[in-house]
Amino acid sequence: MAVQQTGRDVQPIAFDPVSRVAGPLAFRGEVDLRDGRVLGAEAMATHFRGYEIVLQGRDVRDAIFISSRACGVCGGAHAKASALACEMAFGIQPPPTGIVGRNLLAALDNLSDYPMHLFTRVGPDFSEPVVRETNPELWERALQAAARGAPTHGYKRISDIMTGLTRFSGKLYAEALRMSRVAREAYVLIGGKYPHPQTIVPGGLSAKIDRSTVNHMFLRAVPFLDYGQKVAAIWDDLTEFFYAADPRFREVGAGPRNFIDLGLWDDPYYYDGTFETAAGWGQRRWATPGAIVEGQLRTTDLHQINMGVEEFVDHSFYEDWNGGERLPTDLVGNRLSRNHPWNKETIPRPGGTSSRGKYSWSTAPRWNRYPMETGPSARLWITAMANSMPHRRFMEPTGHSLKLSVPQGALPETELEWHLPESWGAFERNRARAYALVHSSLVAHEQVVIALDQLRKGGPDAKVFTPYSIPKGFRAAAGLWGSSRGFLSHHMTIDKGVVESYQILGPSTWVASPMDPFGRPGPLEEAVGATPLLSTANPERCIDVLRAIRSFDPCMPCTTQ
Amino acid sequence: MAYQAGPSGSGNGRRGHPRGYSESIFHVFWLAGMSCEGCTVSAMGASAPGIEDLVMGRVPALPKVVLHHPTLAGDSGHEFMEPFRQAAEGTLGAPYIVVLEGSIPDDQVLEREGHFAAMGVGADLPQGAARGGDQPLRTTDWVVALAPRAAATIAIGTCATWGGIPAAVGNITGSMGLMDFLGKEYRSASGVPVVNVPGCAPIGDNFTETLSELMMFLDGLRPLPHFDELGRPAWMFEETVHRHCPKAGYYEEGVFAHEPGDNQCLVEIGCWGPVVQCNIVERGAINHMGGCMVSGGVCIGCTMPGFPDKYSPFYKAPPGSAISGGISKIYGGGIRRLRRMSMKTGNREPMWDNADEIPSAWDRAHGDRDPVDKVSAFFYKKLQYGGTVHHAKRQKKQPLPQSRDILRQKGVNQEDSVDVLGEKVISREEL
Repeated sequence: MAVQQTGRDVQPIAFDPVSRVAGPLAFRGEVDLRDGRVLGAEAMATHFRGYEIVLQGRDVRDAIFISSRACGVCGGAHAKASALACEMAFGIQPPPTGIVGRNLLAALDNLSDYPMHLFTRVGPDFSEPVVRETNPELWERALQAAARGAPTHGYKRISDIMTGLTRFSGKLYAEALRMSRVAREAYVLIGGKYPHPQTIVPGGLSAKIDRSTVNHMFLRAVPFLDYGQKVAAIWDDLTEFFYAADPRFREVGAGPRNFIDLGLWDDPYYYDGTFETAAGWGQRRWATPGAIVEGQLRTTDLHQINMGVEEFVDHSFYEDWNGGERLPTDLVGNRLSRNHPWNKETIPRPGGTSSRGKYSWSTAPRWNRYPMETGPSARLWITAMANSMPHRRFMEPTGHSLKLSVPQGALPETELEWHLPESWGAFERNRARAYALVHSSLVAHEQVVIALDQLRKGGPDAKVFTPYSIPKGFRAAAGLWGSSRGFLSHHMTIDKGVVESYQILGPSTWVASPMDPFGRPGPLEEAVGATPLLSTANPERCIDVLRAIRSFDPCMPCTTQ
Repeated sequence: MAYQAGPSGSGNGRRGHPRGYSESIFHVFWLAGMSCEGCTVSAMGASAPGIEDLVMGRVPALPKVVLHHPTLAGDSGHEFMEPFRQAAEGTLGAPYIVVLEGSIPDDQVLEREGHFAAMGVGADLPQGAARGGDQPLRTTDWVVALAPRAAATIAIGTCATWGGIPAAVGNITGSMGLMDFLGKEYRSASGVPVVNVPGCAPIGDNFTETLSELMMFLDGLRPLPHFDELGRPAWMFEETVHRHCPKAGYYEEGVFAHEPGDNQCLVEIGCWGPVVQCNIVERGAINHMGGCMVSGGVCIGCTMPGFPDKYSPFYKAPPGSAISGGISKIYGGGIRRLRRMSMKTGNREPMWDNADEIPSAWDRAHGDRDPVDKVSAFFYKKLQYGGTVHHAKRQKKQPLPQSRDILRQKGVNQEDSVDVLGEKVISREEL
């Protein structure tokens, strides 16, 4: 501990590893314990595996199965992004049931992953043992505080919720593990395996989807209608409790409201697999693509989103690439930066870690030079704000909120509404993920209904696969999709059926990115920098810094490939 | 007290407990090399037993697990790493098991302070201080520090077992499996070589079951289970996945899928199942559901040491399938036709043979049989009942039940029933 003459109590903090995030993340910085402020923060991705390098020079048919394995938390999303890129390169599109099947997999991915994040990764930060250790006065308060959502979730007092969030022994922790498995059971019925599904192919699915399959999936998706409501009520209660106890909790993990997302869930009758029409099919997704900068919606056009993307390696363990631009423009003539994924190369240079030099295996992606936040929260923000989603059965954006009509399960039919939050920080990120669980459960429900309808109709609509031939010439293609954590793109170029370059840009690369060459830190670093240290009993533990980091749910295998 | 390693061989009876109940505690240190976290995700999906059952000590026969896993831990940073250091120094005071997820990169040879996979900093490990106390500590340093004292060492997933995709041709990380890294002479403190649970991702229950079996062995409750020559749990991996494949019957009858989505055997669209050792089709991916070919996906050999390069390009038919598949089409075609004949008689109640009528309004079922069917049925019965009681003959003497076709006998007018729905949903012609 270094108590300086200025009266500050500056201490270095180092979390290596930051536990309860997926994969290896380390975090370093300095905190002033007297002022309760964070003075500097660096997010470090501490592994590199070489997936993009392995993919170079391989038969393009290998792309899906290899790139899927870049991330074991959202391998299915990578497989799908890769399949979209292959389809764009081959000039094909899956038949409607193939698209709906993939949509179902994407929704189930979220239904498996969000409970795991909310209750096994971030939840314990708000659990009884942690709150009692860091803020005993809050625990006393929680014992007296009635939970408004009790009729929905069944926990009478806030303290009951906190006890439920305890690692391994808590009821909410155990329930999340159980529900996550239910979603996976549905997933493997057409995915074969979880993670790393075995059935995603260019042109659709290699799966037999019959009535039993869909019925089984339906019966496993239905409990999430109730569970989603329950989870939303729990995170509403927790958030409001902390805000009421101390308004400064709004500043924990505060961010500038920069969001980027590519949308998710394709319209089975609209998606045609081409880049040229991406602006159209992008708008028809069950989550609208878009970019929001400092709270203002800039675009919902996939072309505009794609062309603004750049990746920098100034503070990353890579060498800058000198090669000429592979693609000076995209496929419709928009100018592309040399730092665009279609032009980027991966040249790893492992070395020592230094704070002003290179300190992370993550690159620094920026959109129009802004650091951007990704995640289910970005998905909800953009979808709600854009208000351009076509009519969907169970959801309706309003420009300032997203209305979610939950059909009757064991709980009665309910209408939930997620509002654009007044403040933006860790608590709102968690709350948004809880509402995104409801959103995904409704998408899953609607996909099952569509799938049953397509099976009833039969004929070409009920097919799951479109045959293809591999083009002989040069092709550039992109899979613009999303994982449970949002933005996911696979950019590739192929020649003679062989992968020439392959670039994966995952949601957590945006979030966990290091400083860019313009001196702006990554979103995680910025959020930690804005975090007040509010623990009264054990400030050294920096629980609010950890809450800020975990609210992003960074996934390190997605961050670096 | 430091864990005293016993002599190698069977642990049975070494530390027995009354009625097979265990009071022991095992620490499990989970290390990640070039991993995708998928093995962790898989293990969290396990339920026979579940990770939470092991951690909470809920299974009476099993020792309790103290799990040190970054994704599930309470502490971060130095507090989290402290037990790792104690284990490396031999001061933990309890036996521990090392689990490695992800392949081992060749980063021990990197100059300066580079790493490909790291956890903790130099100061967390006395031997690591040479790297600089604040520099990321390589996973490989941890493996070297922890493996020699471990009661058992488990490689989970195809990366940690055989190198997997990070070891695929073209990569620059020099990746390998744990056995390659530790070498042929390696034995755990209890004398067990590296245990390998492959799969990309592996079945969660394959891992938790193997861990449980090993703990029961180390605890003296059971003999060492049978591992094959590559350290795989033999009872899981000795069979090819094809032998239990729900589509193997199509192969036998010589019927093959032409494209993804078809329900037949997938060999001709790139399935390697007949030559891959895996149990996913009988165990399922999770809770006995799913499994690659069960759901219609091809096997790409993801449990095998040759994965991925010896099984790619994916979706190209394995060369061997041209011979075996060709032969199966010839003899399978004959077998299939004979089976259809047997099914024709099996699909008729014996009484229908007597009445020469099938009381079904579904138009595909009709009562009359062609002469060929009758002749083949005659000989089939001869063979079936030869040397024993001839039920077919006895059946012929059986009188037809008198209340057959009761609605017609009683003159019930079916037109009345139309009123229930208001109209006939399906007309007779539609069937």
